[in-house]
Amino acid sequence: MTDLIRLENVEIGYEKAGLMDSINLAIESNQFWGILGPNGSGKTTLLKTILSLLPPISGEISLEHSLVFGYVPQNEKFDPIFPISVCEIVSMGRYSRVKPGKRLTLLDREIVTKSLDSVGISHLKDRTFRSLSGGEKQRTLLARAIAGEPDVLVLDEPTASVDIKGEAEIMELVKKIQAESKVAVLMVSHFLNTVSEYSDHLILIDKDSNIFQAGMKAEILKHGSLDTFFGLNLHPN
Amino acid sequence: METLNEFINSYFLWRDPMIVGAVTGAICGFLGVFVVLRRIIFVSATLTQISSFGVALSFYLESIGLALFSTLIGPFALSLILTSIAAAFYALKKDFSRISREGVIAFGFLIASGGVIILGDKITRGSHDIATILFGSAVVVDPMDVYLIPGIAVLVLIIHLVYFKDFIFISFDAESAQLFKYPVKRLNTLLLITVALVVAVATRALGALPVFALLALPPLSSLYLTEKLKLVFVFSAIIGVLSAVLGYFFSFVLSIPTGASIAVCASIFFVLALVWQGIRKG
Repeated sequence: MTDLIRLENVEIGYEKAGLMDSINLAIESNQFWGILGPNGSGKTTLLKTILSLLPPISGEISLEHSLVFGYVPQNEKFDPIFPISVCEIVSMGRYSRVKPGKRLTLLDREIVTKSLDSVGISHLKDRTFRSLSGGEKQRTLLARAIAGEPDVLVLDEPTASVDIKGEAEIMELVKKIQAESKVAVLMVSHFLNTVSEYSDHLILIDKDSNIFQAGMKAEILKHGSLDTFFGLNLHPN
Repeated sequence: METLNEFINSYFLWRDPMIVGAVTGAICGFLGVFVVLRRIIFVSATLTQISSFGVALSFYLESIGLALFSTLIGPFALSLILTSIAAAFYALKKDFSRISREGVIAFGFLIASGGVIILGDKITRGSHDIATILFGSAVVVDPMDVYLIPGIAVLVLIIHLVYFKDFIFISFDAESAQLFKYPVKRLNTLLLITVALVVAVATRALGALPVFALLALPPLSSLYLTEKLKLVFVFSAIIGVLSAVLGYFFSFVLSIPTGASIAVCASIFFVLALVWQGIRKG
């Protein structure tokens, strides 16, 4: 199977100030990657580097030709001053395939409708994004991401602003989307239980301790590295 | 009633300024929605001051005997060049090390305002011209503006018709736009250049105060009136037209400065929208 994303000896950071180097990673389709780390550990920097939103300081990032990302950012980042509807936001997901200056076609609109249906928010399509609950906002952003028919679904703390029930619903939805469309999923979280339950691959990152480990979930967990990573005794008995 | 009749009978006096004012109100109202949603209201205030500075500089160059320069680059052209440079600067430069963006905007506003007043003091044509640029007290407009302003408004509207979805996208979620390989910097610059173009031409015709008022207040009012994004643009353009037209009307019948009258009318619409929002929310 070919790699969708490959990082070779990559150093990540901002404006030539490196956070962490020697990062090697290969992501294939239909894999579910969880990125774990404490606050300020470099998770989002790694994610933005993979998404090409930040240039790597050194090393090489190879993306499969015409790779399409579906991105679910943290919903707090959106300015509530915009009276923008759920349908308008989900339509933006199609912009990955519609160039500037071009309009959405009838087919694009059908895909937007299907995306709204698949995450169960058709009844909210005319509501403003700012008026939604945390869980509804996440579903909207998820619908936007899948409307672009992505190869890789990237989620940045998707359950940060929802309760436990909402968290389970969002994660089941992500799992369902992955099973149906065989996309690769890349999810940042600092909730160990969520990540370890749903992912099959793990990345542990902490720039302060210079830790970067990536691999199959079982391997990462087997090494007992989580104990070191979180500074906790996770196996008291 | 008598005043109204007098106003109607004097239509030849106010027809041109009213046309210019109404078109300016519509296009500023429309563009102002982007200005308000992107939280760059004070960028627009700075652009109006820089535009005024361009006009004042052109007058000054003429007054010190550089008439040739003034002929080659007239007040409008000089104002447009300076305003476009400033717009491009604010669109492209987001991070200013150790200084807040607001600080840089304030710097632009203050240096342009100070420059206008200093140049006004030096211009032998008198301070009236400068007062006109700043506050829009002119009841008459240059006949050329009757064609120039609608022409520019149509051009700007065509650009926005083509790139409307893209301007909304980069304003709402620039990060995703970058991810989708949208030319975010170029689109940002194009958007602010359209604002600069309108500001440059409208400031020379109406003055800095009414142009700033028409860019800021109609969009703020319409955001209180509707929850639908496209309707915000429509309502804002309508309120812009009404503010300009009523501003001219009250200026004429009450013999008050036109620019200030337009700004006050736009403010009244804002207060009415605020009251409407209060009633609606119970």
